[in-house]
Amino acid sequence: MARTHVLPVAALVATLSLVATSCGGGEGGGEGATLDVWIMEGTNPDATAYFDEVAAQFTEQTGAEVNVEFVPWADAHEKFVTAMAGGTMPDVAEVGTTWTPEFADAGGLIDLTERAGDTAAYSEGLVEAGTVDGQLYGLPWYAGVRSVVYRTDVFEELDLEEPTTWEELRETAITIAEERDDITAFPVPGDAEYSLMPFVWGAGGEIAVEEGGTWTSGIDSAEAREGISFYTDLALEDGVSSTGATTWKETDVQDNFISGDVAMAISGSWTPTAILEAAPDLEGKIDAFPIPGPEGGYSPSFLGGSHLAMFNGTEDEDLAWEYIQLLTNEDNAARWSEETTYFPGKQDQITPYTESDDPLVQPFALQMAESGKGVPATQNYGKVQGEMVLQTMVQAILNGDASVEEATATAAEDIESILNEGS
Amino acid sequence: MSGTVLTRPATTVAGRPPSRRRRSSARARRRALPWVLLAPALLVIGVLLLYPLIRVFLLSLQDYGLRNVVSGQSNYIGLGNYAEIFTDAYLWQVALPNTAVFAVATVGGTVVFGTLVALLLRTLGPVARTVVVSCIMVAWAMPAVTGTYVWIWIFDVDRGIVREALTAAGVLGPDGFNWFTERLTFYAIATLNVVHHGFPFVAVTVLAGLLTVPRELYEAAALDGANAWQRFWHVTVPTLRPVFAVVTILSTIWDFKVFAQVYLMPGGAGSNVDVLNLGVWSYVRSFGRQEYGMGSAIAVVLTLMLLAITVVYLRSLFRDEELS
Repeated sequence: MARTHVLPVAALVATLSLVATSCGGGEGGGEGATLDVWIMEGTNPDATAYFDEVAAQFTEQTGAEVNVEFVPWADAHEKFVTAMAGGTMPDVAEVGTTWTPEFADAGGLIDLTERAGDTAAYSEGLVEAGTVDGQLYGLPWYAGVRSVVYRTDVFEELDLEEPTTWEELRETAITIAEERDDITAFPVPGDAEYSLMPFVWGAGGEIAVEEGGTWTSGIDSAEAREGISFYTDLALEDGVSSTGATTWKETDVQDNFISGDVAMAISGSWTPTAILEAAPDLEGKIDAFPIPGPEGGYSPSFLGGSHLAMFNGTEDEDLAWEYIQLLTNEDNAARWSEETTYFPGKQDQITPYTESDDPLVQPFALQMAESGKGVPATQNYGKVQGEMVLQTMVQAILNGDASVEEATATAAEDIESILNEGS
Repeated sequence: MSGTVLTRPATTVAGRPPSRRRRSSARARRRALPWVLLAPALLVIGVLLLYPLIRVFLLSLQDYGLRNVVSGQSNYIGLGNYAEIFTDAYLWQVALPNTAVFAVATVGGTVVFGTLVALLLRTLGPVARTVVVSCIMVAWAMPAVTGTYVWIWIFDVDRGIVREALTAAGVLGPDGFNWFTERLTFYAIATLNVVHHGFPFVAVTVLAGLLTVPRELYEAAALDGANAWQRFWHVTVPTLRPVFAVVTILSTIWDFKVFAQVYLMPGGAGSNVDVLNLGVWSYVRSFGRQEYGMGSAIAVVLTLMLLAITVVYLRSLFRDEELS
């Protein structure tokens, strides 16, 4: 029965908190005003100090106070939705790039196109993800990308090199699987869509493309099928994954990497820090390489990250914009990247990372600069993710419930019906 | 109350019969009193239960998406959501069987196992009983989320205890078996989880009932030559029927609306479409696809089904004069 009540109760709570907190808003102009800001939690352990400092800078600059609230990623989507329903939105918030089109379409965000001006300086993938109908709603803040993290000690022991093509990746994984029984060579997680995407894109497939207002899914194209077959065959034919990985999420991959049970895994640019924090004995034993393309080069990898967005209902748009600019300026962006190991959202700010000699930074920076790619930028893509269409597809193939042809055909049908909904 | 008492004698003392109006107002006041006393509780229930219930029902009649959430505009479509649910093969082939069969299995398991534990407890001495009751209370006190993660860990496909044991026993090959991907094995694990979490309540309640059954009944039955099973079936069960009715109904309600124990299992959050039950289906529809109307309609169907089952249960279990 509890399920029955979630939405209204959430709405009720939101309404009550509206009554309780709606006394904060500023009266325009800096002095005496308070800016409410939501920042996602789970990216940086000591973000408080950073935001205190930025708040001090902001108060000095404008006279206005900043009230930062940290929201855990896992609850954030629901919290945004209930806040939009109850009118308790913050003035400025960090919004995950895949949510921006959805919130913008629902009427929750303010159009930033004019204020942002020329967006050429920003990472292209992030700009694309923040754009709905040609208008920019999310200003690129930071980005993360997935590459392959691996155990150098295993590679050295078996005399392996970083693979540069799919075939080499496969052979490397097979060697590890054959030589080391105690370790999973390269998990093929069934519940992790972003680990699949490089193989779809690398083979030349697309998840979905829009033409003349209609979305067509390319997940059942010959190219995509080839990539998906390669990926799932790693588990089914080559045996380099594990039986349990069929239902693994990315966090399960990471947990198993931390406990020393995984040799290579597709993993985010922010994970090496987390891995080493949880398993200090792996220090010096991990490295990364960009996900190779089928015949060399790099496979495109999902470019995720965060936008800064201004919410409808903010009392002073200029003040809110000033805060956004302050967060994304040279110094603050650099410090944020350094502390979080995420990449800044501006092209020229990435350059130092691609030239970095840190082996746990440079491969990711290369992957991002050379082949970062976004998911279809439409408000409905969030629903495709909500329905877990791609995960369902991969799991069905890994389970043996469906062939690649069948599973991709079903997925394409689902994606098209969801993306073309209401248009 | 005191006001009424004081004014009444005053009027009668004056020799006149109390006016009809005054008497009726006193009666009205007396009639209002229970409601006044109930008002705080009703208000709380109204705000926390009734309002959400009505809201969910109204939502279930709408095509309600994120846009509506933000604008607050309603969008009534009549019974469209219900029509869609009832014509969806998914309801009949997956969600409903998963919910109902699972509930039957878990309710049966919980009540049978709980009763067995209660019978065991009755035979124990006070010290041993305290120890065992404390132990099973731990299972009850464990939050569903924590418990679920423990079961997932026990059944970890690659390195869990069960896997290692089965491999050592030669039942499983080196590749193992992913029990989370098959509907039957997935729900077998969920059943273990829910029975483990639910049996202490049954055990403690049934034990309380057992202790009230007069010993003479058993002695008389034993004298008549009844064996243990007959004593249980012909003495304990009829005496404890109301207790069994209560634990069965409560377990049914709890087990029908199981959510966390399914949602948190690998694949249970939507990536394995074969294993969703009504609760998770409703959640995925509402919050995954932001079809709040459709999600609410599924929730309403689930609630109505529970109500119907409860009514049928009550009628059959209290079929004698107990109900009237």
